[in-house]
Amino acid sequence: MSKGPAKTIADITKGFAKHQYICSEQISTAVYLANELEKPILIEGPPGVGKTELANTAALYYKKALLRLQCYEGLDETKALYEWRYGKQLLYTQILKEQMQEVLEGAKGLKDSLDRLMEFEDIFFSEQFLESRPLLKSLTSSEGTVLLIDEVDKADEEFEALLLEILSEFQVSIPELGVKKAVVKPLVILTSNNSREIGDALKRRCLHLYIPFPDAKLEREIIQARVPEISKNLQIQLVDFVQGLRELDLKKLPAISETIDWAKTLILLNADELSQELAKSTLNVLLKHQQDIDVVQKEVPRLVMASDG
Amino acid sequence: MERVLTDFVKTLRNVNIRVSPAETLDATEVIEKVGYDDRELLKNTLSLALSKTPSEKEKFDTCFDDFFREKLSSDETPVREVPDLPTDQTANSDLAQHLLSDSYSDIELSISKAGEEAEIREIKYFTQRAVFSRRILDIMGVGKLEEELSLLGQANKDGLPSDFEQKLRNELTHLRERVSDYVQQQFLMHGDVTGEQLREQVFKSMNMGQIDRSYLHEVHSLVRRMAKKLANMHSRRKKNFRRGKLDIRKTIQDNWVNQGILFNLRWSYKKVDRPKILVICDVSGSVGAYARFMLMFLFSLTEVVSKIRAFVFSSHLGEVTDKFKGGNLEDSIESALSKYGGGSTDYSHAFSDFVSLCIDEIDKKTTVVILGDARNNFGPEKAELLKSVYERSKQVYWLNPEGKYRWNTGDSVMNTYSAYCTKVFECGTLEQLERVISTLLKTAI
Repeated sequence: MSKGPAKTIADITKGFAKHQYICSEQISTAVYLANELEKPILIEGPPGVGKTELANTAALYYKKALLRLQCYEGLDETKALYEWRYGKQLLYTQILKEQMQEVLEGAKGLKDSLDRLMEFEDIFFSEQFLESRPLLKSLTSSEGTVLLIDEVDKADEEFEALLLEILSEFQVSIPELGVKKAVVKPLVILTSNNSREIGDALKRRCLHLYIPFPDAKLEREIIQARVPEISKNLQIQLVDFVQGLRELDLKKLPAISETIDWAKTLILLNADELSQELAKSTLNVLLKHQQDIDVVQKEVPRLVMASDG
Repeated sequence: MERVLTDFVKTLRNVNIRVSPAETLDATEVIEKVGYDDRELLKNTLSLALSKTPSEKEKFDTCFDDFFREKLSSDETPVREVPDLPTDQTANSDLAQHLLSDSYSDIELSISKAGEEAEIREIKYFTQRAVFSRRILDIMGVGKLEEELSLLGQANKDGLPSDFEQKLRNELTHLRERVSDYVQQQFLMHGDVTGEQLREQVFKSMNMGQIDRSYLHEVHSLVRRMAKKLANMHSRRKKNFRRGKLDIRKTIQDNWVNQGILFNLRWSYKKVDRPKILVICDVSGSVGAYARFMLMFLFSLTEVVSKIRAFVFSSHLGEVTDKFKGGNLEDSIESALSKYGGGSTDYSHAFSDFVSLCIDEIDKKTTVVILGDARNNFGPEKAELLKSVYERSKQVYWLNPEGKYRWNTGDSVMNTYSAYCTKVFECGTLEQLERVISTLLKTAI
């Protein structure tokens, strides 16, 4: 049975809303397509708009385990893909040495010994000694997973190349063992903050989703879902205020996560509506740079007035 | 329907959204899932599959709206009201009947049919618009209509056109407008950027001294892209690897011979950091026409390469790195030109300034690039200064904007200086400049 795509997409939007993730139609379309076509999604957008959260929610929605790989400079395959258990391997060679006597017992001459040695099963490079890291884990899992590769722009360019095989074929080649294919193809979500341009080869293999700052309506819905105890009046004022802030020339614009934090702060302070003093004294929740706070201090009266209107 | 998609992809490529064949295949797959019925859904899905940066997304949105408005308009526009005509007069030519009796969208449809016949897709240049408009009108049978109109005109005795004739004339004017709109739209879709690419091609191969200053902006975006491409291509070498980290895998592999006892330790190797580049740019009168572009390239390079220091001179030399970093292009160039530019060249002075300013910084990892025509106004050459720079540095490149045949003529002392350069390049066009800088970044390790 297959429902129409529009219906499924609406279902995703609803399902995500149950997990307090309010998404635009673009986002749910992306999730739908990623799931249907088994393609990774590359999400870009300013920090704090819910890129990582999308992966969390997708995991909840599809009831799959979330495997997260946080990228950073210098991340290599031993951290991302697999590593050999060196300690165990060393012990194994020790045991082997002791066992060697038995294997070679009765062998005549060097050639015979060598033949026996060749016949002897070698498990030095085998799965027993393989330590899976997130990428390999997500491929070998039999239940299917949501694989989140977070901030892929922070990793080196070489790491992108490593991802290519996994993202397009859902397989990895381990030189000592051969190709490992995915048991169940995971839903892959990559996020990037655009601290550097992602390579074309990687982009080509992904659906590309850009999440911008939300418009006022969507942001209100998000606040409503995340901070339900907020009063209607305050909620509208707050969102208008933040929307106004985003039009200023600031070093770091407040994102949704900051709006949510601010809403929680105001609730904690038992506020019913936004006054100038209140806004001024709690600005540091919204803005993370002293310069920005200085700029906004002057603008507070205007912004509060605007959000009143 | 596949034709629609490929047409759309072509349109996207025209506005500089790069779509690979594989992505086109993705898009077909995507469309199979969602179909063409839901416009908003189609837009969202295609946007996911085809546009891959925020700026591309923006372009994609407008492009999608343009493209599919045109395609879908036939069932959106309302039926035009056809006013009653005096019955004693009927139009003779097909086109006139068509214009008078059919709905707006039908006419639109026949325009685009005629457009297909006229191979409007092939439109490339701005100047072809009139030709295509005429061709489409001809295919639609405007000739007959014109004949009919002239007959009608002759039939009028009082010299005033009848209502019917007036109406027909209005319709014709209206049709002409619509055809020219249609051609314009098609041109934007199929032709515009091919023109831009052509222009870029021309800019690239044109002598920099001859590019008009009013094109500065277009050229800058081109130069910047070139600089960025170059820097990207070579940035792999930039990575600064952490040192002092044990490479366990290699250590164990290398120590099998010691019966697994870790005797020889192996470390993760450290990659060499990007070298220093010092660029000296001549901005004197003799290279005046080039200076602007040289500076532009210099500016773009400082934007994308971190360890670069920029100097300019005509008689005395000064550093402009700080001005360039974080400034905007025009201000930086103007301030550099007004402070240092325009004077007569004095290489000896400039070199001695340069040597006293930063000879200590030059070491075996440093690349020095000199942009200039080596025209010294018959002044002292002081080649020994360049020699000292050459001996301390890894390499010295000289980029001369003049054609080779002009070197060593008049007051040019290229030969004297070239003895102390690793290599001398002729570099009069942006294309040459690009090639030179590419070699430079490749070898500047």
